[in-house]
Amino acid sequence: MPATADLEFLSVPREPSTGDTGRAASLISETEHRFRVHTAAYTKAEVLELEQQHIFRRAWCYVGHESELTKAGDFKTGHIGDQPILVTRSEDGGIHVMLNRCPHRGAVLCREPGGNRRALICPYHAWTFAIDGRLVSVTGRDDASGYSEFFEAPEGLYRVPRIETYRGFVFATLDAKAPALLDSLGRAKILIDRKLNQSPNGTLTIRSKPYVGIYEGNWKFHAENIIDGYHFMYTHQSFVKLQNKFGDTTGDFGVHKGGSASEMKKIRTRGSVWGCEGGHILNQKPAIDTQEMLSGPFAEYYQSIEKLYGAEEFQWIFGSNAGCIFPNFGMIHNQIRTWRPIAPDKTEVRIYLYDLDGAPPAFNEGMLRSQERFYGPSGHGMPDDIEIFAANQQGLSASQLEWLILERGMAAEKPLGDGDIEGLPSSETGHRAFWRAWRRSLSSGSGQ
Amino acid sequence: MSTRTSVDIREIEAFLYREARLLDELQLAEWLSLFTPDGIYWIPIDETQDIATHAALVYDDAARREERVYHLQHLSFPAQSPASRTMHVVSNVERLAPEAGSSDILVRSVQTIWELRAGDFTQIGLGKIRPLVGTVRHELEQTDDGLRIRRKTVLLIDRDMPQANLTFII
Repeated sequence: MPATADLEFLSVPREPSTGDTGRAASLISETEHRFRVHTAAYTKAEVLELEQQHIFRRAWCYVGHESELTKAGDFKTGHIGDQPILVTRSEDGGIHVMLNRCPHRGAVLCREPGGNRRALICPYHAWTFAIDGRLVSVTGRDDASGYSEFFEAPEGLYRVPRIETYRGFVFATLDAKAPALLDSLGRAKILIDRKLNQSPNGTLTIRSKPYVGIYEGNWKFHAENIIDGYHFMYTHQSFVKLQNKFGDTTGDFGVHKGGSASEMKKIRTRGSVWGCEGGHILNQKPAIDTQEMLSGPFAEYYQSIEKLYGAEEFQWIFGSNAGCIFPNFGMIHNQIRTWRPIAPDKTEVRIYLYDLDGAPPAFNEGMLRSQERFYGPSGHGMPDDIEIFAANQQGLSASQLEWLILERGMAAEKPLGDGDIEGLPSSETGHRAFWRAWRRSLSSGSGQ
Repeated sequence: MSTRTSVDIREIEAFLYREARLLDELQLAEWLSLFTPDGIYWIPIDETQDIATHAALVYDDAARREERVYHLQHLSFPAQSPASRTMHVVSNVERLAPEAGSSDILVRSVQTIWELRAGDFTQIGLGKIRPLVGTVRHELEQTDDGLRIRRKTVLLIDRDMPQANLTFII
């Protein structure tokens, strides 16, 4: 018999009330020519509670890639919002997503980030669960001091109710009533498709351990920044200079195209940004140097992709595509990103570099080194973004000034017909789409 | 280029101390000259994996070391504004048997690198000293100009854990 606890008397932490969600919606001020977000949206613990409740417990969240779990018994730990999870692969090839918590007395089952287990055994009283989460034994069950015939044993670990895999990407949601993954992704599905279509096999493999950083700033700064076309020439000004001087010799591998600042700026103002109704964002720029690709050192590989998808699509597949899938999954270059809030002013970011299956090893190695050069904690780019997130959070402590300005490019947008909006590459069209989905999630209690 | 197998441990220690001093005093051009032309400065996440297929925190050949030093010395960027101050403490210096087939002098030391970004200490990330701890393996070559680094490998004890700003030289 399911029990319902009355948690009203618990003031901290508390379950947010409907009234709170209405108030949270007022943290965005939008008119035809104006889009402002209130400081409190980035700084208040109450807002993060609402986000956990109404965004992270409802949205489809990326929990891992199939290449991380190739054998039966493989597992990895992770999070959906603030809920620690286990993702496992069972004998029948199935993928399972469960809370990393013994239903008996609460101990975590796995304290390693990943590995291979025949079974999941609780370290406290050795309750044993199959790798798919089923409870297989309760130690001392029939002891005189054990459990009676009326014992309502749990079926197993708490299962995250919905799991869907798209082209190797595993997503899960805590909301049993969420719409199908692809309905939720909508137009943003093309981000995953184009990244995977760079592989002759249409698949990727994660080999390296991720770059993990914990920065002292709000999680939404990262969601905004991964598709922010405006900051690059300024935040990364020193990198643009390095690129001018060293780009070829240190092996940028075409990741940040254009030798000079003016050339880089020109490339970065091509293409467009899509701000999707679901809060997803795409910043996409077609490749300009397709002829060099098709005749250069990796000509055979590039030609094989062009043959599969045609010349027009080829330039988009190998263009610069960065995207954010609401709320906390992104792709840029040859990497998968996730970010999760730990506190209003503390966020974990993971960067998983991947290989394109079937691409030449030298191509994958070149992509790996070039991304290491920019994105690692010793890189010449990402640490500047991390520094800015902390600087933003620091700045917001000056809360007497209430609103942040996010209306760049508002006058140069056009609707795509289904609630999605197209804007210019260095606009904040995508940021606004993210925030509108955020507001809708917090207002209606439904993120999708 | 001559090779000598008998290098006094004192000479090795003096070399490590000198490298530490050059890093702490930001004499980075001179630090560059400590490497052989094919030298590698490597900070792995997982040293057991093939570098060709696995990302590192740092994997610098001569060109990338030169770029890194140029970045620190000639350009202003957010992650080093304000700049890091470091203090490398070198201890437990031991000469180990070289890898099979290698004529290099293999040296293991334990290093604690204290790092501080000064500035407005009331702000996030500034004014706090943080330690980096690890073992450092130097594969050294004795040349006519003295000892040179063929490979410097920094094995941070938390190399597979979250990393903060590592935009200074370790």
